[in-house]
Amino acid sequence: MKFEELLKLPQYSLPDAEKEQILLDGLNELDAHHRRHCPEYDRLVSVLWPNFLKAQTLQELPYLAVGLFKSHRLCSIPQDKIFKTLTSSGTTGQQVSQIFLDVETAQRQSAALSRIMTHVLGPNRLPMILIESRALLQDRTRFNARAAGVLGMMTFGRDHFHALDENMELDEKGLHAFLEKVAGKPFFIFGFTFMIWQYLFQRLPERGVDLSQGILVHGGGWKKLQEMAVSNSEFKRRFREKTGLSKIYNFYGLVEQVGSIYVEGKNGYLYAPNYADVIVRDPLTWQPAPMGAPGVLQVLSLLPLSYPGHSVLTEDLGIIHGIDDSSGGRHGKYFSVLGRIPKAELRGCSDIHASQVGG
Amino acid sequence: MKVQQLVPRAEEVELEEILARLRDVSGGTLAPFAPEILSFCAEFSRALFRDPEAKRFPELQALAFWMRKAELERLRREFERLKTDRTLLVPRGLVFHVPPANVDTIFMYSWLVSVMAGNRNILRISPRAAQQTTIICRVFNQCLETADKSMRNNTVMIRYGHEQEITAAISAVADVRVIWGGDASVNSIRSVHISPHCKELAFPDRYSLSVMRASKYLGLDEAARRDVAAQFYNDMYWFDQMACSSPRLLIWCGGLEQSSSASAIFLRDLHDEVLRRGYALDASGSMNKFTFLSRAILDQPVISARQLDHQLTVAQLENIRNLDRDHCGGGFLFQYYAEGLAALAECVARKDQTLTYFGFDPPEMAAFAQSLNGRGIDRIVPMGKALTFNRYWDGYDLLTEMIRYVYVE
Repeated sequence: MKFEELLKLPQYSLPDAEKEQILLDGLNELDAHHRRHCPEYDRLVSVLWPNFLKAQTLQELPYLAVGLFKSHRLCSIPQDKIFKTLTSSGTTGQQVSQIFLDVETAQRQSAALSRIMTHVLGPNRLPMILIESRALLQDRTRFNARAAGVLGMMTFGRDHFHALDENMELDEKGLHAFLEKVAGKPFFIFGFTFMIWQYLFQRLPERGVDLSQGILVHGGGWKKLQEMAVSNSEFKRRFREKTGLSKIYNFYGLVEQVGSIYVEGKNGYLYAPNYADVIVRDPLTWQPAPMGAPGVLQVLSLLPLSYPGHSVLTEDLGIIHGIDDSSGGRHGKYFSVLGRIPKAELRGCSDIHASQVGG
Repeated sequence: MKVQQLVPRAEEVELEEILARLRDVSGGTLAPFAPEILSFCAEFSRALFRDPEAKRFPELQALAFWMRKAELERLRREFERLKTDRTLLVPRGLVFHVPPANVDTIFMYSWLVSVMAGNRNILRISPRAAQQTTIICRVFNQCLETADKSMRNNTVMIRYGHEQEITAAISAVADVRVIWGGDASVNSIRSVHISPHCKELAFPDRYSLSVMRASKYLGLDEAARRDVAAQFYNDMYWFDQMACSSPRLLIWCGGLEQSSSASAIFLRDLHDEVLRRGYALDASGSMNKFTFLSRAILDQPVISARQLDHQLTVAQLENIRNLDRDHCGGGFLFQYYAEGLAALAECVARKDQTLTYFGFDPPEMAAFAQSLNGRGIDRIVPMGKALTFNRYWDGYDLLTEMIRYVYVE
């Protein structure tokens, strides 16, 4: 099935076996495509999977360690075809991932994202609150994954309201004005999980604010909230109590696979969209882990044409909970993300690890 | 400035007081190899052997073994031989040791040589230090209770992070500064002044390798092969292969066919040994290793790679001329087939520290070292002794580094 046809199918409608066949054909093609056009990818596959020709199952597909996008320039298009370069939002001193996009890949990403978002938001563009400051988008020197993510999401809303000022202070007045204007009709809230908690939820006035008509979509990881002992269910409960907001969707995604995000269903689990999938691998053997067992997440996506990111071994731990049998009516695998692989310290003479995987 | 003292007693102490105590010579100072020092160290060794907690750590037992009385006596005799008719040997004074955060025992060796030479010592213990360090401090303090009073003012261990003002205050009064712990630590501590007469010993990042003669290896019977695997295991896996002397590159000398059949048997035996000893990496170590392997494939002349479970990854190299000395540890071995030692000599770099060998004679290795003429490699020892510390380390003779010669005519 062609990618364009796949886009037309209702989201989360494919039973796993049918989906596996579609993905397998597409990913085998992508594997061959990147082997032809990205010498680094070809070299890695030829050394790590010496006899590999074609995968018979998704699990047989070669995968790249996500850290390679930080240390190497992995690109399957000529320099003059690079339309946009995405970088991950690392802190100072950290190496960042570099992702090279051509026009076609960028288009596939936004088409795909649109199919996921309309599933959550409905067909119409809604008034939108961004838990970000305008400054993020104006500063082009920091055009990183965060800014790209925000820009990408803005297309699914209208009458955008940036709820934070440059000092990350909540614009309470503006928020009330926005809510008055939407007058009880649905609206869309987007932001990064930690920022929503820290800069929106924790700054809300004591008596609360009525966000009951809102649809909140948030992602970016739970690390900082875990430190504050706030789980996903706690996050939802507190929001519901204080604001009446009940439509809350967490998502999981990587800058290495923009457009292919895994959005939470009603039961709190994450679901792979039609053109993507996950595998959980035992970190010691790299063999697929049994269902229900935690392991390292590998993410598969049909989107990346311009860089070899169609099969990426992440540094996140996850669990697949089931296939096709979820209560929410969605097909395919459903899973949860447990967070980053905890960093252990190897011993040794050197204070700094020679080749620690960059954070 | 208050600091957390661990030895001689666990308590918060003013740094100025500690430094004043260490520089106070009114009660007299200890001569090199004074009986008080010898008996304290011998007692410390016995206590480590006896201590139920210390018994669980082979590296602490190795330390105890190295500090036992007979060994100290041997060191004393070597020391005596350094004297001449016109030179006598005296301590340098106060030695400031900055050990690495995550090697648990190596710093005790430089302390031992220093204290034997009659120096007073102050050691920085990292807040990240492992359990082994806590055990060392506890046992040390226990031994001090019954030791001669002079020993109680000899060694202080304090715990602090990267507070430069503490490092600066100690550096200002030290006569020797010893920095362990990799290039970054060496550079950062070097930026703190020492007094003009102070000397500095630095132990930056190093790389170590191993060489085996394939024909000799193939001539061994099964039991002897298993023993080779056990020796190699000790060299490679202690300290998670992150000690500066842990082998990271294995070179087989011999014909291609010989080397590859020797390697096949050896790696199988080594893998068995790894399983037998129950070495295990966690998910982060395993991920780190997979990423390192992938990067090595892109940046180094790797022709094939084998991942024998998570414990042992082997990457075969086509040549080793410009091999990057970066490493991930945790059971990763580069392997290369060379015709002979001459081919290896071309590729030795300044960063190379320890070469362990099997199937060669000491004279062959000496000739090899001579041919390098100082381009690299500071230690050449039989397989199994990579981590066996002695006074010669990183190109220094620690014993003579810790003393001053006084010329008397």
